Amino acid sequence: MSTAHTDAHGGEHNPHLAHHFDTMEQQAGAAKLGMWLFLATEILMFSGLFLAYFVIRMFYPEMVLGAHEHLNKFAGGLNTVVLLVSSWTMAMAVRSAQVGKPNNQADIAKIKAFLAMTFACGGIFMVVKYFEYSAKFAHGMLPGKFYTAHLHGYDIPGLPHIFFGIYFVMTGLHGVHVLVGMALMVWIYLRAVRGDFSRQNYAGVENLGLYWHIVDLVWIFLFPLLYLVK
Amino acid sequence: MSQQPAHHDNNHGEEPNFYRAKRGIMSWLFTVDHKRLGVMYLASVLLFFLVAGILAIFLRTELLTPAADYVSASTYNQLFTLHGAIMVFLFIIPATPGALGNIFLPLMLGAKDVAFPRLNLLSFWVYSVAAVMLLCTLLLGGLDTGWTFYTPYSTSTGTAAGLAALGVFVAGFSSILTGLNFVVTVHRMRAPGQTWDRLPLFVWAIYATAVIQILATPVLAITVLLVFIERFLGIGIFDPAMGGDPVLFQHFFWFYSHPAVYIMILPGFGIISEMITVHSRKHIFGYKAIALSSVAIAVISFVVWGHHLFVSGQSEVAGIVFSFLTFAVAVPTAIKVFSWVATLYGGSIVYNTPMWYALMFLWTFTIGGLTGVYLAVIAVDVHLHDTYFVVAHFHYVMMGGLVVAFIGGLFHWWPKITGRFYNEALGKLSALLVFIGFNVTFGTQFFLGHQGMPRRYFAYLPEYEAMHRISTYGSWILAAGLFCALFGLLAAFSKNAKKAGNNPWNAMSLEWQTQSPPIEHNFHETPHVTGSPYDFPEIDKSGGVHH
Amino acid sequence: MSTVYLNGKLVEHPHEVHHHVSPVPQYVAVLGALLVLTGVTFLVSFADLGAASLTVAMFVAVIKASLVVGYFMHLKYDDRFHLFIFLGTIIFVGLFFGFTLFDLASRDAINDEQRTFTRIEEDTNKGQPMKIGIDNDLARRAAYDAKHPAEAPEGH
Repeated sequence: MSTAHTDAHGGEHNPHLAHHFDTMEQQAGAAKLGMWLFLATEILMFSGLFLAYFVIRMFYPEMVLGAHEHLNKFAGGLNTVVLLVSSWTMAMAVRSAQVGKPNNQADIAKIKAFLAMTFACGGIFMVVKYFEYSAKFAHGMLPGKFYTAHLHGYDIPGLPHIFFGIYFVMTGLHGVHVLVGMALMVWIYLRAVRGDFSRQNYAGVENLGLYWHIVDLVWIFLFPLLYLVK
Repeated sequence: MSQQPAHHDNNHGEEPNFYRAKRGIMSWLFTVDHKRLGVMYLASVLLFFLVAGILAIFLRTELLTPAADYVSASTYNQLFTLHGAIMVFLFIIPATPGALGNIFLPLMLGAKDVAFPRLNLLSFWVYSVAAVMLLCTLLLGGLDTGWTFYTPYSTSTGTAAGLAALGVFVAGFSSILTGLNFVVTVHRMRAPGQTWDRLPLFVWAIYATAVIQILATPVLAITVLLVFIERFLGIGIFDPAMGGDPVLFQHFFWFYSHPAVYIMILPGFGIISEMITVHSRKHIFGYKAIALSSVAIAVISFVVWGHHLFVSGQSEVAGIVFSFLTFAVAVPTAIKVFSWVATLYGGSIVYNTPMWYALMFLWTFTIGGLTGVYLAVIAVDVHLHDTYFVVAHFHYVMMGGLVVAFIGGLFHWWPKITGRFYNEALGKLSALLVFIGFNVTFGTQFFLGHQGMPRRYFAYLPEYEAMHRISTYGSWILAAGLFCALFGLLAAFSKNAKKAGNNPWNAMSLEWQTQSPPIEHNFHETPHVTGSPYDFPEIDKSGGVHH
Repeated sequence: MSTVYLNGKLVEHPHEVHHHVSPVPQYVAVLGALLVLTGVTFLVSFADLGAASLTVAMFVAVIKASLVVGYFMHLKYDDRFHLFIFLGTIIFVGLFFGFTLFDLASRDAINDEQRTFTRIEEDTNKGQPMKIGIDNDLARRAAYDAKHPAEAPEGH
C-alpha cells in the first residue's frame, strides 16, 4: 500500500514538485523523457530536409558542386565555432544548476552568467547569418522562382535555384530553432533570477540545454553538407 | 485479488465529481484536468464527425444517378477533399487518443493526471487552431487536392492549399504533443505494482499509437511545410517542371500517412480488447501477443508505405520489396483477431450494445484487413488502384474498424463518463442499423471498384448506376444508425436514465475502481495494483470469490 | 513518516534529484575536441578528395555529434532508455532515407523507360534554351547521353 505525498512532509517538501507527481525524481525524469521524445521529433523533422538535400545531390551532382562554392565557407565555419562554444557554455549552465545550493546567490549568478554567454553566442550566430543572407539576396541567389543570380553575372550550371531553395529552407528552419532557443533562454534566465534552479530542481535548465544541443547537432551536419562537401 | 478498490478517505467525505469540482466557462477552457480535456476533445471530434459525415451524404446523394445532378465537378472535388481532410485530421486521428485516451489513460494507470497537464491543454488548443485553419479554407477558395496534397497539383492549384497545408502542420503538432505526453505518462506515472504485463490492453494500444505519432508526424510536418514553401517560393523539390520529383513527395507523405493509418486503427484495437474481455467475462486470450503485436504493427507500419506508390512511377524493385513487407502487417493483425475470437470462445458473453459493436468490428475489420492484403499484391493493385475497391477497403478499416470501435467504446465507458446508463434499446438498434447500412454502402463498392469504377468521379457510366444507388441508400441507413447511437448516448442525460454506480460491468481495470464520474484527482488514494486487469473474480482458477 | 513508492519500489529521498555531474575539465576537453574536428573538416574541404569528401565529412560529423550527444547531452551517463530513443530515432531516419533513396536509385533497374520524372522532363526539353526548371547543362547532357547511347540521337 502506498500513499501519495502529503504536506506532512513539511520541511523536506520541494515547492517545485507538482501535485500529480510523487517524487522530484519522477517529475524530473518525466520532463527529461518528454524532452528526449521531443528531440526525436526534431531529428525526424530535419531528416526530411536532409533527405531532400541528398536527393537533389543525387539528381544534380554537378549543380550542387557549382552552387555550393558560392556559400561563404568562412562565415559558416565561424558560425560552427560559435555554436560549439555556445553548446559548451550551455552545458556549463546546466552543470552550475546541478551543483548549485538552493537560494545561494553566487551559484545563481553562475547559472545566469553561462546562460547569458550562450544567449550572446546565439546572437552572434544570427548576426553572421544575417550578413550571409544579405549577401545571397544581393547576388540574386534566392530560392526557387526568385532566383536571379544569372542576371547578376553568376553562371552556375544546371538548376541552382533548387540548391538555394534547399539551402534557405534548411538554414532558415535551423535559424528559427536558434531564435526559439534564445527566446526560451530568456524565460529560463528569468526563472534563474527568481532562484528556481539548484541541485534540487534543474529540469528546466537541463531541458533547455538538451534542446540547444540538438540545434547544435543539426548544424554539425548542415555545415559540412552545405558549405564544405565536394 | 486484483485491484484494491479505492475507498473514501475519512478526511474528505463525498467529493464532487470532476464536472462539479470547478464552475464557469473559464474552468473548462483553461482546465488542465485530463478528463475535462477529454470531454472537450470528445465534443470537438463528434462535431467534426458530423460535419464530415454530412459532406459524405452530399457525395453519396450526388452519386445516386450517373449524371451530374446537384454539384459541379469542382464542388465535388472540394466536398470529397474536405470530407477526407476533416475525417482524417480532425476526427479519426485525434478521436480515440484525444477523447477516450485522455479520459481513461491516467485512470487506467492509477495516476492523478497525465505527465504534462499544461502541455495537454496546449495540445487541445493547437488542435482547435488547426480546425479553424482547415475550416477557413472553405471561405478562402476551398480545397480540391484530396486529403493527400499530391504535388504538383497541390503546389499549383488556385484553391487554399497553402492554408490547408499549414492547418495540417498545426494539427500534426497537436498530435505529436498528445503522443509525447502519453508515452511519458505510461513510462513514469503508473501506480505502484502496475507493471508492464499488468497494463490494460487499451493502454498498450494507446502507447503504440503514441510511438507512431512521435516518429511519423514530424515527417508530415516537414512535408506539408515543404508544400507550403513550394507554393510560395517554387523551390522545385517536388515539382517536375522545376526539376524536382513528384514521387519524392509521395515518399515523404506516405512515410507519415501509412503509419498514420495505424495511428487511426490501433486505438480501436485497444478498445475492442477491453470490450471483448469485459463483456465475455473471460481473461483475454494471449495478453502478451495482443500487447506486443500492437508494438510490432507500429514498427512494421514504417516499412510498407511504398504500396501507395505502386502505380505512381516508383521503381518496380522497390514496389516488390514494399509489397512483400506489406504482407507482414497481416501477421500481427491476424494475431489480434484470432486472440479476440479465442477470448469469446467459452466466455459468458453478455449481448449488450458494446458487445454488439465489438462483434460488428470483428466482421467489418476483418474484411477491411483482408482486402488490404489483396491490394498489397502489385498485379492486383494495378487493376484496383484508385477505384472504389480502395475506397471500400479503407472505409472498412477506418469506419468499420475505428469508428465502430470508437462508438462501441463510447457505449462501454459512457457509464463512467456520465455516471449514467445509455439507452440499451436505442444502442442495439443503432448497432443493427450501422451494421446493415455500413455493409450495404461499402460492400457494394468492392464490386463497383472491381468492375472499374474510378474513385473521385462525380459522374459515371450508366452501367454502374444500380450499385451506386444501393450504396447511396446504404449510406442513408448508416446515417440513421449513427443518429440512433447519438440519441442512445444522449439518453443518459434524461431524467429516467439509470445511475451507473462505480463499476457497472464488474470490470477489474483501475478506471472502474473510482467514482462515476471520477473525482477531480481521480482516486482518493493512489491505488495499488497486484494482478492482471483481466482476472475476473468468477473465472479465477484458484476458486476464490472476491469482493 | 510516510513513505513513497514508485513503480512498486520504495523511494528513499522523494524530494531530491540524483544525477551524474560531469567534471569541468571533461567539458573543456570535449569542446577542444569539437573545435579541432571542425578545423579538420574545414581544412580537408580544401583538399580535392572527390567522392571521398562526403564520406570523410560525414565521418567527422558523426564523431562530433557523438561527442555532443554523449557528453554535453549526458547520454553516456543517462537513463539507458533515452539512448534507446535516440538510436531508435536514427534507425527510423535510416528507414526513411534507405527506402526512398533505394527507389530513386533503382527506377530503371527493370524497365529502362521508367526513369525519374526530372530526367523525363529533361528529355522533352532537349535542345531548347535554358529556362528555369530544365537542366540544360551541356556537359552533363553529354555525360548522360554517353551513358544512354540508344536514345541519344532520336530523343525520346
